[in-house]
Amino acid sequence: MDCYTANWNPLGDSAFYRKYELYSMDWDLKEELRDCLVAAAPYGGPIALLRNPWRKEKAASVRPVLEIYSASGMPLASLLWKSGPVVSLGWSAEEELLCVQEDGVVLVYGLHGDFRRHFSMGNEVLQNRVLDARIFHTEFGSGVAILTGAHRFTLSANVGDLKLRRMPEVPGLQSAPSCWTTLCQDRVAHILLAVGPDLYLLDHAACSSVTPPGLAPGVSSFLQMAVSFTYRHLALFTDTGYIWMGTTSLKEKLCEFNCNIRAPPKQMVWCSRPRSKERAVVVAWERRLMVVGDAPESIQFVLDEDSYLVPELDGVRIFSRSTHEFLHEVPVASEEIFKIASMAPGALLLEAQKEYEKESQKADEYLREIQELGQLTQAVQQCIEAAGHEHRPDMQKSLLRAASFGKCFLDRFPPDSFVRMCQDLRVLNAVRDYHIGIPLTYSQYKQLTIQVLLDRLVLRRLYPLAIQICEYLRLPEVQGVSRILAHWACYKVQQKDVSDEDVARAINQKLGDTPGVSYSDIAARAYGCGRTELAIKLLEYEPRSGEQVPLLLKMKRSKLALSKAIESGDTDLVFTVLLHLKNELNRGDFFMTLRNQPMALSLYRQFCKYQELETLKDLYNQDDNHQELGSFHIRASYAAEERIEGRVAALQTAADAFYKAKNEFAAKATEDQMRLLRLQRRLEDELGGRFLDLSLHDTVTTLILGGHNKRAEQLARDFRIPDKRLWWLKLTALADLEDWEELEKFSKSKKSPIGYLGCGSGCRRGH
Amino acid sequence: MAFPHRPDAPELPDFSMLKRLARDQLIYLLEQQHEVDKLYKVESKPAVSSSEQLCFLVRPRIKNMRYIANLVNADKLAGRTRKYKVIFSPQKFYACEMVLEEEGIYGDVSCDEWAFSLLPLDVDLLSMELPEFFRDYFLEGDQRWINTVAQALHLLSTLYGPFPNCYGIGRCAKMSYELWRKLEDEEDGETKGRRPEIGHIFLLDRDMDFVTALCSQVVYEGLVDDTFRIKCGSVDFGPEVTSSDKSLKVLLNAEDKVFNEIRNEHFSNVFGFLSQKARNLQAQYDRRRGMDIKQMKNFVSQELKGLKQEHRLLSLHIGACESIMKKKTKQDFQELIKTEHALLEGFNIRESTSYIEEHIDRQVSPIESLRLMCLLSITENGLIPKDYRSLKTQYLQSYGPEHLLTFSNLRRAGLLTEQAPGDTLTAVESKVSKLVTDKAAGKITDAFSSLAKRSNFRAISKKLNLIPRVDGEYDLKVPRDMAYVFSGAYVPLSCRIIEQVLERRSWQGLDEVVRLLNCSELAFTDMTREDKASSESLRLILVVFLGGCTFSEISALRFLGREKGYRFIFLTTAVTNSARLMEAMSEVKA
Repeated sequence: MDCYTANWNPLGDSAFYRKYELYSMDWDLKEELRDCLVAAAPYGGPIALLRNPWRKEKAASVRPVLEIYSASGMPLASLLWKSGPVVSLGWSAEEELLCVQEDGVVLVYGLHGDFRRHFSMGNEVLQNRVLDARIFHTEFGSGVAILTGAHRFTLSANVGDLKLRRMPEVPGLQSAPSCWTTLCQDRVAHILLAVGPDLYLLDHAACSSVTPPGLAPGVSSFLQMAVSFTYRHLALFTDTGYIWMGTTSLKEKLCEFNCNIRAPPKQMVWCSRPRSKERAVVVAWERRLMVVGDAPESIQFVLDEDSYLVPELDGVRIFSRSTHEFLHEVPVASEEIFKIASMAPGALLLEAQKEYEKESQKADEYLREIQELGQLTQAVQQCIEAAGHEHRPDMQKSLLRAASFGKCFLDRFPPDSFVRMCQDLRVLNAVRDYHIGIPLTYSQYKQLTIQVLLDRLVLRRLYPLAIQICEYLRLPEVQGVSRILAHWACYKVQQKDVSDEDVARAINQKLGDTPGVSYSDIAARAYGCGRTELAIKLLEYEPRSGEQVPLLLKMKRSKLALSKAIESGDTDLVFTVLLHLKNELNRGDFFMTLRNQPMALSLYRQFCKYQELETLKDLYNQDDNHQELGSFHIRASYAAEERIEGRVAALQTAADAFYKAKNEFAAKATEDQMRLLRLQRRLEDELGGRFLDLSLHDTVTTLILGGHNKRAEQLARDFRIPDKRLWWLKLTALADLEDWEELEKFSKSKKSPIGYLGCGSGCRRGH
Repeated sequence: MAFPHRPDAPELPDFSMLKRLARDQLIYLLEQQHEVDKLYKVESKPAVSSSEQLCFLVRPRIKNMRYIANLVNADKLAGRTRKYKVIFSPQKFYACEMVLEEEGIYGDVSCDEWAFSLLPLDVDLLSMELPEFFRDYFLEGDQRWINTVAQALHLLSTLYGPFPNCYGIGRCAKMSYELWRKLEDEEDGETKGRRPEIGHIFLLDRDMDFVTALCSQVVYEGLVDDTFRIKCGSVDFGPEVTSSDKSLKVLLNAEDKVFNEIRNEHFSNVFGFLSQKARNLQAQYDRRRGMDIKQMKNFVSQELKGLKQEHRLLSLHIGACESIMKKKTKQDFQELIKTEHALLEGFNIRESTSYIEEHIDRQVSPIESLRLMCLLSITENGLIPKDYRSLKTQYLQSYGPEHLLTFSNLRRAGLLTEQAPGDTLTAVESKVSKLVTDKAAGKITDAFSSLAKRSNFRAISKKLNLIPRVDGEYDLKVPRDMAYVFSGAYVPLSCRIIEQVLERRSWQGLDEVVRLLNCSELAFTDMTREDKASSESLRLILVVFLGGCTFSEISALRFLGREKGYRFIFLTTAVTNSARLMEAMSEVKA
């Protein structure tokens, strides 16, 4: 026990700080860290190094090298830097490396050194060059702030959605500020800068001078400033060796400390955690590390090597050429349990369990002691919590064992906190492994969430581990395994050295029909890499044919798209493809394609009927569909033409078509209609009145009603109206006329083909 | 007289939810548009409105798009700028957007969808109100509404739980079913845990049974529809019914107590029932006599209003009956019904044919004549060539030559066809399969190969015993079977199929019928998740008619339900009847 707290250093009365090793670095650096531009991503993220060649003493001929390592020093990427001079490096929240060049261009690289994109910070920056740049994180994403040679600031709060914002001028600023930083308050990014003894706060609208409350007198310049991880606290280091600590709003002072070192520190970062007892700042000089807080004494460490500090949510990571360490405030649960001579229930429980393992009766004594105080539940909870904060698996195990031991004596202790902690620790230990190199603490992991952690594993192409974690945690397939497999497949299609066949087969073998995997997304990626054939192969596996269509169209496989669209049963989709095809193919090919797809054809006909009548005709022509062609012309004869000649001509075309279709009946009927039309026209000319477009029956009736009996008889003969019809016709007409004489004459003239009953009913109807 | 349901009949699900859903969505869509000033009907007339915004609520048809385009372009010419919004119901089609784009106004209008696909017309009747479905699908071969049907089924299953047993017959039924299943699969999880409320679903294409739809209706609701045309569950009774000088719009559904009791009755019973009812009503009024003050007060405050309401409805329906009687009890109607029955039973074909010919010669009604021709064609496996030509010639002479196109449509839909020469009844069956592959036929019918097929009505009728053998008079007051909806002469084919399949819980043993319907590939059963369904839900059956159903069919199935302790729920693309079917096929001069 004594030895366990050996690395605990008290700060003030309440808090302890400890520093322990995460990894011994294996990166075999050729140069000192101080010669490099360094950027390390938070949450145990990767480290980027760019040897800084733009210093005068270096030979210009040597190209700089950009190297990316995992937190354990495993090389991830290394590439020759061929672009312009870089001022600053930084990691975005998505673990993309942002390299800010002197000319204001920001180059974005992936974790594996793959170039993603670039963007510029604007003309003003280009003209005045970049003097200094910071990458910062907000709730919207990652931002870039730039100080130009003209001592103006330009920033963008989210590089994903680039909106440049030029900050107002600082009045009377002639030289670069001695130090500056970005602050995030009320979801808006500000800049705090120090010029001589003055501090200025820049927001969008204005520049205001600010004064920290309770700042010791005699300050003539600020050398360093630090903002905490959560943007809540601010620390200022002055040229008198004095450190002021307070809130970012500059309304409240927390504490101050005088370290009596006037040399400017290399780095200063906050070291606190959510619900910290003590707020402390870590200040690093060349060979010295100091933790200061609200206490007269500070904690001092000696640095053997050139080191670099990375602020984290709950501590500070410190890495150098040979080691990677973590410095943090000892969490409450651990402190309670391990503090020397602690009588906290957790401490007693741990002790009891150890005695129990030694088969000593003392175990019972300890246990009784806890139980008498009624603190067993609390003890178990303490042990579980403390286990989470331990880095070493053996300590985790012994604490969990104690918790499990204590649980046996409790009736109703809900098991899930214990189970969840065991699971979380297994995941954490797995990703902390040297080969993976993500040294997350428990609090960071909880803040980051498992989803993001999985994303980061995927980003590092650690698919098997990610899948194992998903399966271990029994995450729903759609969120877990499928998503990872889809990512894997997207990566797989980029492997240009493997044949299309093999890639497609490999992907299908792994993915099968896992729910939630979209083959069309993977295919789209394959197409994006220029592998059209592979994309088509992959699309074959897509069960929803509707999903295949857009990509097929994009790949100009329109005919395939058409049959897939038809398969999907979604007419709208079919139509989309149709119009695509129509523009893409020449008319002949288009029609031929349609011919083999009846459903598409009928759809297109529908469209043509209203929009492109001529096309419809062409369609029928192409198919030698004379029947429909005839119908088409008949329709035309009614629709458009007013003049009789035009109508007759249209009917003639129709009749010809009907003959070709061997539809004699329709052809004859059409010819009769032409005859009738001409005749009606003549009747109108000779007799006046309206005859056009009456049916034959009605024409004859109209003639009788007009008293033109002869004409009517003639017409009936010409058009071979059957007797029966003629009788009915005459009967009704004469009855309508109430011409009973003629009716009588007519009924006696011949034998009635419809019987005299019909005769009678015809007369009755007339009344 | 109206038959009560068996006491164990299941409760119907509450479909008013559908109405509320649709209403809320529409309100939401319109609210984005601020206030609605005035409603206009979309027609080829310019809407005169000074409003700054115009909102169109339309079916997704190209014709409507042209109308909107003309209006917008006219505004543009006149130099005025307005905001335009088009709300498509039940869904937006890409073709429509294309038209807007081609007309150059796509940028000027904003489009929205109002997914209102199911209108509950009654407690057991849901209508998609898509009368165009019939022509679009069965004539033009346009499959776009299938998606809408699938969406509607999806909506029902999300609201009322999954359907454990599915049956269907017909190409459209099969496609709708498959598309719907796809939708369910894509969104699985939502309905999985739910207990089914409706135990069975039966999908049926209209072209499985044109015969029933073509017959004259004689149950009260069907007759009202045939005579006055019921639109969206309400009917306009003219002055001859209301016995005043005004027309009256009346909502016809289960809320109307009088109507609810007579709607499923054979017309011959209705009058007697109504006069009985009138007497009862009078008796209730008469109770007033001899009441003391207190009783009278009670009577006035509680009963009088109901009685008055009933009185009003009663007189309306009596008026409607009188009006129907005037039209139908003439010699003609008896003849007509007799001919129809002869056609259904298949005797005196020559007589029937000459009746039809006379019908045409006398120009009785173009739609009626057409209907009889179709009925003759379907029951006889097509007309013999001589009749086919002569009837068509007569028809053209009577009603105008433009009907040449109508005949071409009817032939394409398989409603009015010609027997191949030498075809006899027995030879037809083997011919059917040939016809489909026949190149000449295939060319014309092309996409419609499945639709243009021959009916084997007579054989099916024998197999399914559609013509009941009756000894003596069929007592229409106490119906024995579903044939009562056609005066005991014919059991509706569609309803009989449903009955048979439900009895067997599959198509087993109906192979011959299915083959005769040319649907060997298109009849399906799907039984799943049986275990979760309660016995109550298993007696609720949703019948989906693709292409429309008639009130006679609804009455017949309601009757079947009462007999067997089922409750049927009807979902139809639209309520139809013979006249609507024929009009959908007719070409009229533009």
